[in-house]
Amino acid sequence: MERSDVRSLYRLGAFLAVAYSLPFGVGLWAGTVHANATWMANLASVVLGGIAQGGVYAMFAVGLTLIFGVMRIINAAHGEMVVMGAYLTWTAFSVLGVDPLLALALTMPVAFLFGMAVQRLLLDAVVGQPELTALLVTFGLGLVMVYTAELIFTTDFRTIPYAPGSVRLARGIAIGQSRLISFAMAVVITAAVYGFLRFSRLGKAVRATALNPEVAMVCGIDVRRIYLVTTGLAAALAAAGGALVSIQFGFNPETGIVYTLQAFAIIILGGRGHYVGALLGGLMLAVLENLVSLMVPNGTAMVELAAYGLMIAVLLIRPGGLMGVKEG
Amino acid sequence: MTIRTLAAAVAALLVAGAAPAWAQHRPNNEVLIGGAISQTGQYAEPAGRQVNSIKMWVDEVNARGGLLGHKIVLRLLDDKSDTQTAIKLYEKLITEDKVDLILGPYSSGITEAVANVTERYKMPFVAYGASASPIWEKGRRYIFNIVAVAETFQKGGVYLAKQIGVTKIAVIGQDSLFPRQSGKGAKEWAKKLGLEVVLEENYPVKQTDFTALLQKIKAAGAEALFSNSYFADAAAQLRQMREQNINFKLYSGTVGPALPNFPEQLGATAEYVLGFSLWEPLPKVLKHPGMEEFIAAYEKRYGEKPNYHAGSTYGALQVTEAAVKKAGGFDPEKLRDALATLDIETVYGHYKVDAKGMNSAEGLTFQILKGKRHVVWPDKWAETKPELPMPEWSKR
Repeated sequence: MERSDVRSLYRLGAFLAVAYSLPFGVGLWAGTVHANATWMANLASVVLGGIAQGGVYAMFAVGLTLIFGVMRIINAAHGEMVVMGAYLTWTAFSVLGVDPLLALALTMPVAFLFGMAVQRLLLDAVVGQPELTALLVTFGLGLVMVYTAELIFTTDFRTIPYAPGSVRLARGIAIGQSRLISFAMAVVITAAVYGFLRFSRLGKAVRATALNPEVAMVCGIDVRRIYLVTTGLAAALAAAGGALVSIQFGFNPETGIVYTLQAFAIIILGGRGHYVGALLGGLMLAVLENLVSLMVPNGTAMVELAAYGLMIAVLLIRPGGLMGVKEG
Repeated sequence: MTIRTLAAAVAALLVAGAAPAWAQHRPNNEVLIGGAISQTGQYAEPAGRQVNSIKMWVDEVNARGGLLGHKIVLRLLDDKSDTQTAIKLYEKLITEDKVDLILGPYSSGITEAVANVTERYKMPFVAYGASASPIWEKGRRYIFNIVAVAETFQKGGVYLAKQIGVTKIAVIGQDSLFPRQSGKGAKEWAKKLGLEVVLEENYPVKQTDFTALLQKIKAAGAEALFSNSYFADAAAQLRQMREQNINFKLYSGTVGPALPNFPEQLGATAEYVLGFSLWEPLPKVLKHPGMEEFIAAYEKRYGEKPNYHAGSTYGALQVTEAAVKKAGGFDPEKLRDALATLDIETVYGHYKVDAKGMNSAEGLTFQILKGKRHVVWPDKWAETKPELPMPEWSKR
């Protein structure tokens, strides 16, 4: 590690310490912080809730970061893929009566195939082209997906009433069943993909292609096949994220853009193309948002301010994002 | 060229530019009716039901022989739920397409912006998609209100809270024009009835996690929660209340619980929730003339009963039709006067506006019980007694 790199890490640490204690400071000043057991339990619930939400955010982000890392393509249709996953899960649940978790065994392969088709038919043509070209192509794909979903499902909101109960962890500390399940699922799936990228032969080839496609090709890696796997995987991850959406939030064909933006913010924060960075970024954003919402007066109106403020500050200190390596 | 001819030319141009759109003669004895409604974007869902009513009305009128004998040609554009797009499209509809009649957009925010355009070109319309009263507080002459204004959405909820002895309430809502107005109304009614507002907070449109806000509301000591929300946010709030075992004696939403599929999609979590509806397809309760026929025709065509978005739109179109007949044509000025003075009953209820152009429609508060909506307030329309306070989550 270079010296400047180490220095920026220190600065980042100092900044984060300030950023996360700021809501507490405001809370003390405004009288919304109380030194009793009930409030502490509330705080714990809220932080836990933030971590669970962060896991879901991260689920959105890892697929996006994967495609970007390997092909330098910003997939503007990522949120729509998430929504596609949500609809697949919803259909499996309400038409076929399949449990939303078991439905993953069905939805992820379907999404994987869909991702491969997208790669073959659209993205292959734009890999290596200027970034804007790919952005436009995926944006168009997103629009097509939105309108197709509206034709099939109308614009009505849907959600799955799944595991609505509460899990009591300690006195006064509770977390929703569906959130806990979502979080566990997010951890398992991202860990599995991480393991795949880290240890499997194919995963290593994916990483090699991300580092340098030409050299990878020279070493005998079929780069086109790697691209195919990458987009398939990203779509499958998006679909898994969609399953989480379907059991926690309401969605309609239009909500995809929200997930795209969220995922985009997270991968910028975490470091573009960096898998662990996306995880970390998701958790950091969600926890900060919850702390601000809990303690700052009218704080919920300011969560976006806090989130994007954090992002800007982190980028000022480390232009490559949390885990970003210097480009150049 | 003399100054005089130049002046005459300019005057002629001005006259031509200001010439009312109705003066355009259309082929085949047609009349062009146009509007931009959110067929995609965040408002696509409620606006979609308005589109249903519009299409149905157009077909019905054409089957009856048209509007004053003119066959209606409908031009519906999509503003993508975006204010700027809506402004551009209305400008286009009026100046390029030269529509004879304008149909309103959906949502208070978009209507407010579009009203500036329609006002400039003096094109009157009944704003079935807008319920924020500030729209009618700017001296506008060509926009007419039909639905109950946002400030009255939480009135019933506040009255019911008072009835069950609640003293402290929290008012939250999405950070946009309409929810802010209904929140303002909730606070005013609370003040009138002597309830204390212990917390008031808005959240961004995209918010999905309310855990922290709910904990904060509980810590502030609120016994009842008034949430000025749509589907996704109301659904998330209720779910997270249940997850965190946070109990209120009353939860009163606005638009979300009124959507037809809210109870069905949310299941047991939606039970006991209060919501507001400008109108319900209940002919036996509301007793507006023509309701039964309208409901039957709508259900036959779209496979579901009309909700209030569909009802208010159809009512507004009945008003428009009556105004055209009264005016005897499509002259915007005469149409405006007709809309300002009409006094009629529609499937949606009574229409008679005051000097500001505001109708005094009254809405109804309902409660979701066993997956069905039941009107619980005002008393004259109540189908059943409200089941309040809401039972605690652990006792359900």
